[in-house]
Amino acid sequence: MAAVPSAAGATPRNGLSPAPLPAGRRGSELAMLCFALAIVALAFASVGFGLNGHLPAGLVLYVGGFAALMIGAHLTVRWLAPWADPLLVPLAAVLNGLGIVMIYRLQEAGRHGNAGAFGLPVSTLTAHSAVYQLVWTAVGIAAFIAVLVVFREPRILQRYTYTIGLVGLLLLAFPIVLPASHSEVNGAKEWIIFGGFSIQPGEFAKIALAVFFAGYLVAKRDVLSLAGRRFLGIDLPRARDLGPILVVWGLNLLILIAEQDIGASGLFFGLFVVMLYIATQRKSWLLIGVGLFAAAALIAWVAISHVAERFTIWLDPFNPATIHGISEQLAYGLEGMAFGGLFGTGLGQGQPYWTPLVQSDFIFTGFGEELGLVGVMALLLIFGLLVQRGLRTAIAIKDPFSKLLAGGLAFSIALQLFIIVGGVTQLIPLTGVTTPFLSQGGSSLVASWMIIAILIRISDTARRPAPQSIQDEGLTQVVRAL
Amino acid sequence: MNHALRRLSLVCLGMFVLLLVNVNFLQVFRVNSIAAEPGNIRITVQQEKVQRGEIIAAGGPGSQQVIAVSRQISGGIYQRYYPASYTYAPITGYDSVFGTTTPAGLAGIEKYENAYLAGTAPSLAIHNLRGLFTGKSKQGASVYLTISPKAQAAAYQALKAFGHPAGVIALDPRTGAILAMASYPSFDPNKLTVLNSATFDKAFAGYHPNSGSSPLINRAINDLFPPGSTFKIVTSSTAFSNNVVNNPNSTIPAPQFYRPPGTTHVLTNDYNSPCGNGNPPIIFAFTLSCNTAFGKLGARLGGPALHGFADRFGFNNPGLGVPMPVTPSSALVQNGSVVTDPAYTAYSAIGQFNDLVTPLQEAMLAATVANGGTLMKPYLVQQIRAPDQTPVYNASPTAMGHPITPQVASYLSQMMESVTHDPNGTAYGAVGPQVTSIDVRGKTGTAQNGSGFSLDDSVFTCFVTGNGQPIAVGVIVKGGGFGAAIAAPIALQIIRAYLGRQ
Repeated sequence: MAAVPSAAGATPRNGLSPAPLPAGRRGSELAMLCFALAIVALAFASVGFGLNGHLPAGLVLYVGGFAALMIGAHLTVRWLAPWADPLLVPLAAVLNGLGIVMIYRLQEAGRHGNAGAFGLPVSTLTAHSAVYQLVWTAVGIAAFIAVLVVFREPRILQRYTYTIGLVGLLLLAFPIVLPASHSEVNGAKEWIIFGGFSIQPGEFAKIALAVFFAGYLVAKRDVLSLAGRRFLGIDLPRARDLGPILVVWGLNLLILIAEQDIGASGLFFGLFVVMLYIATQRKSWLLIGVGLFAAAALIAWVAISHVAERFTIWLDPFNPATIHGISEQLAYGLEGMAFGGLFGTGLGQGQPYWTPLVQSDFIFTGFGEELGLVGVMALLLIFGLLVQRGLRTAIAIKDPFSKLLAGGLAFSIALQLFIIVGGVTQLIPLTGVTTPFLSQGGSSLVASWMIIAILIRISDTARRPAPQSIQDEGLTQVVRAL
Repeated sequence: MNHALRRLSLVCLGMFVLLLVNVNFLQVFRVNSIAAEPGNIRITVQQEKVQRGEIIAAGGPGSQQVIAVSRQISGGIYQRYYPASYTYAPITGYDSVFGTTTPAGLAGIEKYENAYLAGTAPSLAIHNLRGLFTGKSKQGASVYLTISPKAQAAAYQALKAFGHPAGVIALDPRTGAILAMASYPSFDPNKLTVLNSATFDKAFAGYHPNSGSSPLINRAINDLFPPGSTFKIVTSSTAFSNNVVNNPNSTIPAPQFYRPPGTTHVLTNDYNSPCGNGNPPIIFAFTLSCNTAFGKLGARLGGPALHGFADRFGFNNPGLGVPMPVTPSSALVQNGSVVTDPAYTAYSAIGQFNDLVTPLQEAMLAATVANGGTLMKPYLVQQIRAPDQTPVYNASPTAMGHPITPQVASYLSQMMESVTHDPNGTAYGAVGPQVTSIDVRGKTGTAQNGSGFSLDDSVFTCFVTGNGQPIAVGVIVKGGGFGAAIAAPIALQIIRAYLGRQ
């Protein structure tokens, strides 16, 4: 906490002169946001030149609209959370903007004389995909503003721990009870679909569960950190305290089997175990978590046909027997990234559209092909910085609930990115989760902006100067209530 | 909780480091192996966008001929065109975006010089870098072949005129440069460069080995035929080199009928005729191509000795590439081990039993004799020039070995002269002084082939030296009958075209 320089200026100085207000760093945020917008605008222009040699037709609409939304987010932070970390919004903005650029680039493939599928003018996306993504960005920013308006204090959320937990569970369970026609896309039963409008409730459940875990674990952490038996130099928890982790594990297994969604299941369980570890500081929980995860993986292997399949294609995606079937997506994605090499083909000049569904789970390979190793390293560093700022916020805040929540949310971004990027680059077996901010799809984008809003709120609280004493002729001191 | 959070930060750092290391591994170290995956569609599309270098037949006297060129068909998309399609198809191969080979749909020079033609060879990097910054589209290097357009055209025309499956190679004996390489039946590579997969599939199905005539096989280097009596060059070389026979005028036993030890089969000469007085000079037996004389000589020399000399001439060598891989010819080998049985040895010594050769191997026999006993490694690519005309590769002729001494080579040259110049010689009527003023020296072969053709395979290997433009030719025509009847006239047509003399 000592590492928050702005807070240092809030120390009263012998009650003589009023301390100057520390800088809120909003100016820095605006400058960095402009930099982020410039990157997005250049990337957008680059797509146009790469595709057909001139500026893209919708440049003003897309970049102007996007810039207006981001400036809106910035002004909201200036108004409602002036002390917040200045990096969070610009980092999220550059990712969100580049996501729109890539979706625009994919939407234009096979249209307006651009190369599409081999010799055929075929595009995999509808002509308005980028506009939809921009609209979803607007919804995301609205959610971002709403979170900041409604929750002026992060601790308010703690009061609704169990309500929010229940909401999270319902969100997760809803697709299970819906008929497949209203819940299943590409084999994963994790959607709610009504009349052409679809959301992935799991994305929001992730936030709700993080809030619930934080509230629950803060309440129970003293008990959960009690040591039981000592084994191999590690203090094991008492057997009776294993209840919560077993319940969460069981629920995850249920989701896994019912929704066929390995990625989300792993994400939730990993989130819980890590938050349990942060709350109790007991490494034994991590070990128990890993053990339970291994057991779940084994059960899934036996119970779900496509789990074993995932391992097969992970080990040999280029196998001629599977390359035109189950391993096609992975193999094409890898071929795209390898084709991009060091510097990439340049935006608009590769063939990312060859990879099936590149706009959602495989969007990272699209960047790999067109921006090359240099581009994806930059993206990974931006994500890394975002996670680091989140963890920094967690360390800075004093309130244990907020600390746990910020740490959990920051880790969820890291874990989700690891699952999907590791999956598409053949580091780990591929499981479908969205790439935060980049993938096409509203739920993920809105949920990601809500996470940023919560982190902003916690960061603002952490960095806000201590209440200043009102020094009235040195006689009485009234402490302004929070 | 901050302690746990700090450790968690390290875990997150570790996860990001793993991702970063993995993308580096993927986009730097795995680039080539993934590019080589069969059916990598991006590599296929890239193929279309590159203006491949030209392939040019630039050997021999006279003008050069462009035999493969990339033409722009629409915005940045190129299609390969082969102006002299059938004639050069076994050499050029084809460049198709379809097909199962790696890189997709390449064969011949298109495949084996692909790195240069496509402009991806490391030595072209400077030029490509320049292209990268100037925004010019990538261009490949041009490949200049040793092929003489005159010899090549004559070779294909001659094979086509007879119309049997056949292969022919002409070499410059001094360097090993391939002057002509023709195969019949041939194919039209232009039918395989189409950008429509259905059209490609239809054309390719017609060329498929299962469709009958297998035009995609380059019979000059990838089809095997029995060498017949041309193998007597190897048998004679072994005899001279091992001092079993001293010189061409030394006599060897040549009975009318010869039954090798351990068999009831009886070896005869053509028409069961006798061979001179039954103990003629070896040059006499060679000129008439007496089977009994060389069968008996072979049995006396023994399988291992013949096998050793065959190897020195280039047999049983799986590593040869011109740059297309050459199917190894084999002699005196059965089930992977050297033949020692005297009966089999006797039959192998006259090019029967299981001896098998390519037309290239035939040409290499004559070329060795023509070059004074030194066998040069055959090659097709003379020079490669970057798009700015800078040569990035120049052929340097290398000797594969010295199968025979200059003395033995002169003995063989003398005997091969006799074949074409002695009125009793097997090729006297085909390429002798009454037919041509050119001093052609050679050896005929007539090999039982056991295939569907009623006639034997016709084989001829020959060379011409002494006028500054030496050439060695190997011809094999399936079902052509006597070597002198079909193969020798074909060789003569190529030689005439190459030398520009009758």
